Amino acid sequence: MSLVAVGLGGALAAGVLTALAAVVVPRRVRSAVAGTGTVVTGGAGVMAGVGAMTGSSLSVALPGLLPLSGVSLTLDALGGLFVAVTGGVAVAAGVYGISYTRSHGLDARGVQVVFPLFVVAMLLVPAAASVGTFLVCWELMALFSLLLVVAEHRHRPEVAQAGRWYAVMTHLGFVAVLIGLLVFVAHAADDSFPALREAGRHLSPGAAGLVFVVTLAGFASKAGILPLHAWLPRAHPEAPSHVSALMSAAMVNPGVYGLVRVGFDLLGGGTLWWWLLVLALGAVSAVYGILQAAMSTDLKRLLGQSTTENMGLVLVGVGAAGVFATSGNRVLAGVALAAALLHVINHAAFKTLLFLAAGSVLHGTGARDLDALGGLRAGMPQTTAAFGLGALAASALPPGTAFVSEWLLLQALIHGLPAPGATGGTAAAIAMPLAVAAVALTAGLAVATFVKAFGVGFLAKPRSAAAGNAHESPPAMLVGMGLAGVACVVLALLPTLVLPAVGTVSGVALGVGDPAVSGAVTVRLAGVAGALSPLMLTLALLAAVVLVVGAVRVVAARRARRAARLWDCGGGPMSARMEYTATSFAEPLQRVFDDVVRPEQDVDVTHHEESRYLVQAVEYRRKVPDRVERRLYEPVLAAVAAWGRAGRRLATGSVHRYLGYGFYTLCAVLILVAVTR
Amino acid sequence: MNETLFVQLLDLACGGLLLTAVLVLWRRELVVIIHVFAVQGAALAALVGVLAVHEDSIELGAVAAGVLVLRAGVLPYLLRRALASAGEARRETRPLVNVAASLLTAAVLTLLAYAVSRPLVELAPSGLMSPATQAIPIGLTVVLIGFFVLVTRRRALSQLVGFLLMDNGITAVGFLTTSGVGLIVELGVSLDVLLAVLVLQILTARMRETFGDTDLDELRELRD
Repeated sequence: MSLVAVGLGGALAAGVLTALAAVVVPRRVRSAVAGTGTVVTGGAGVMAGVGAMTGSSLSVALPGLLPLSGVSLTLDALGGLFVAVTGGVAVAAGVYGISYTRSHGLDARGVQVVFPLFVVAMLLVPAAASVGTFLVCWELMALFSLLLVVAEHRHRPEVAQAGRWYAVMTHLGFVAVLIGLLVFVAHAADDSFPALREAGRHLSPGAAGLVFVVTLAGFASKAGILPLHAWLPRAHPEAPSHVSALMSAAMVNPGVYGLVRVGFDLLGGGTLWWWLLVLALGAVSAVYGILQAAMSTDLKRLLGQSTTENMGLVLVGVGAAGVFATSGNRVLAGVALAAALLHVINHAAFKTLLFLAAGSVLHGTGARDLDALGGLRAGMPQTTAAFGLGALAASALPPGTAFVSEWLLLQALIHGLPAPGATGGTAAAIAMPLAVAAVALTAGLAVATFVKAFGVGFLAKPRSAAAGNAHESPPAMLVGMGLAGVACVVLALLPTLVLPAVGTVSGVALGVGDPAVSGAVTVRLAGVAGALSPLMLTLALLAAVVLVVGAVRVVAARRARRAARLWDCGGGPMSARMEYTATSFAEPLQRVFDDVVRPEQDVDVTHHEESRYLVQAVEYRRKVPDRVERRLYEPVLAAVAAWGRAGRRLATGSVHRYLGYGFYTLCAVLILVAVTR
Repeated sequence: MNETLFVQLLDLACGGLLLTAVLVLWRRELVVIIHVFAVQGAALAALVGVLAVHEDSIELGAVAAGVLVLRAGVLPYLLRRALASAGEARRETRPLVNVAASLLTAAVLTLLAYAVSRPLVELAPSGLMSPATQAIPIGLTVVLIGFFVLVTRRRALSQLVGFLLMDNGITAVGFLTTSGVGLIVELGVSLDVLLAVLVLQILTARMRETFGDTDLDELRELRD
């Protein structure tokens, strides 16, 4: 038995057994049992994924399990990477969930049974080897996650609304994937992936383009890419926090997996415009997502919008890889795809950490609104440290985690200027510099966003009584955060532990022999004169900081010191009301990007009864709506509602009218038959 | 039975079916409609009986007897009982389409049925069963007229008769195309119809108790 077989079989068995156990065990121990079982499931998943990435693979066919199509599973290197990421996130979320569900009243059977099953469904999606299996796993994943999103619908009405959005959008996405893959299957011998791979070589460009665009719509909606992102900042924050982490860090990845699998593997690379489309969608999503996050004042919503940004960056990498591959530069394509896949891993690590920390804040204060937080450093030091680490990891600054993958991405994009006369040279020559600019702008805005989230949310003085009374979370939650934090640190300092494997995966996915990335401590890229050593960089940074601090101390020690109250312009002791809030922090950015975000402001001045020269109250409201949603979704929703109203006129309640519909339709069909025969 | 007599009897029975269906459209007295329906049941039974004699099939003969009992005896009896308890409303006062137009529509429906069933008729082997196959359009016409009654008549009882007319038509088409559905199948269908009529009778009684009328358009307000 290979590592992969043991891992995948173990994950399946552990997940299902945990779900069964959660049904029977008493409420006292249910959280512990379900959490531990999920950790085992995730651990087995990591084992299977790592096994698949290091060369062994597994194929299982169970034709009797599902009617008509049967179940067939194959775990190869590409699928292994996504299985490993999902498993890793599940381990952290499982540990965290033991305490979180107990203290939030989520230890009823429903949530505890569905949670491990959700993990199992997510582990199976990248392992599916036929269209039937893939779609079944995809739908199971969507349904289980939907059940988890609406877990708290009795407590908060927003949850039900978020659940509706999610249910509709995820099923529209499913329908898109279904249509695309069925069109594809119609050209193949059967619905297994090898048959599709064979058929992909002979597909006409028109049919292949149709399959790609339709499946892209479905996969993009799962990854929260513009303009199909509207559900993500609603559903991810409203789920219980450990589920948010699992959704935001792991469940968006199958979108990327599907895109790479269908685009590169099954359809065999396709044409230039496909990948330019992917690149453009990714760039727009990255900038727009982080801009929305920068304006957001809700901690979990901000993290959800940052997911759109990061998936956008991943799509930039995938799109660039496609552009390079179609124009013949396969080595550089390998680097770009490796960057994208590494960013998937990094994003999973830091988004898990951030969502778990946000859940810890919610646990300790009951608040998610940044404008009502602040001063958490004193009450919850571990959570503050965890969120600070996560914020550093999410900002593309050394020694952050995201820095490594974004550096790789930028390297690929910068070296992507095509040689004169290459095919598709003009488009690439225009697209690459624009993509570099978009990635750079995104990185800058991400720094501002996470400085805001950390600075306003955790430092300074408490802005509300709830924030003042914050208390630290129980040990299981801290352990969950700690695991994710360790993963972030390792990925930031020693990315070379995973990069060679990622490079191999991207090489396999693109059909290139040699790995794109190598090196033990220093990251070396194939075909590009670029090298980076995050560990050395961090050491140098630390040395510089120590040196500067030491120098300042030495210089400052010569002067006499005096302790005094902070200068407050004579206005008395400074209160929390005088602090910078999240809204005010974002105000300059909002001014700069006024034309993009279009904030809605409303000033109401109430005058005194006696005289209109005296003002009684001034009310100021500001809202940053999602502009894409307003322009794209609201007209569609209004049109659907209008159709519904028009349709009601057909159904007046008269029995005769209903019978008449049947009669006239029957007669019309008969006449049609008689005439056309 | 020689071939000529068989054809004449079959055509007579089919003519009876069609004529009674049109009469249901023509008459407004509910009592008369029920009588006409009973006659149609008898015509249907006669049709099956003729087929049974022609084929020398005892099983088919039993089916004919069953059809006679059910469609000319039990169902009209049940309908009459429903009518007796209905009180005042004994006339189909205001059909949605008036009688003259209904009769014209029946003619059009007959033409449509003939046009549609041409391929079925052409399928028939030019031999033993061809007279029966030739009569398929009659059965189809009865189905369509039954549906038309359902759509245009207001009283619950007329609706019931329309539904039963459709069923008669479907049964007739069944016998004419296959020269004898199995006894079990026919038994099942008959029980189904009987049950439906019983349920609808109860519903009619309930309707009258609740609304004091059996005009289906009164049900309009129940929605939402």
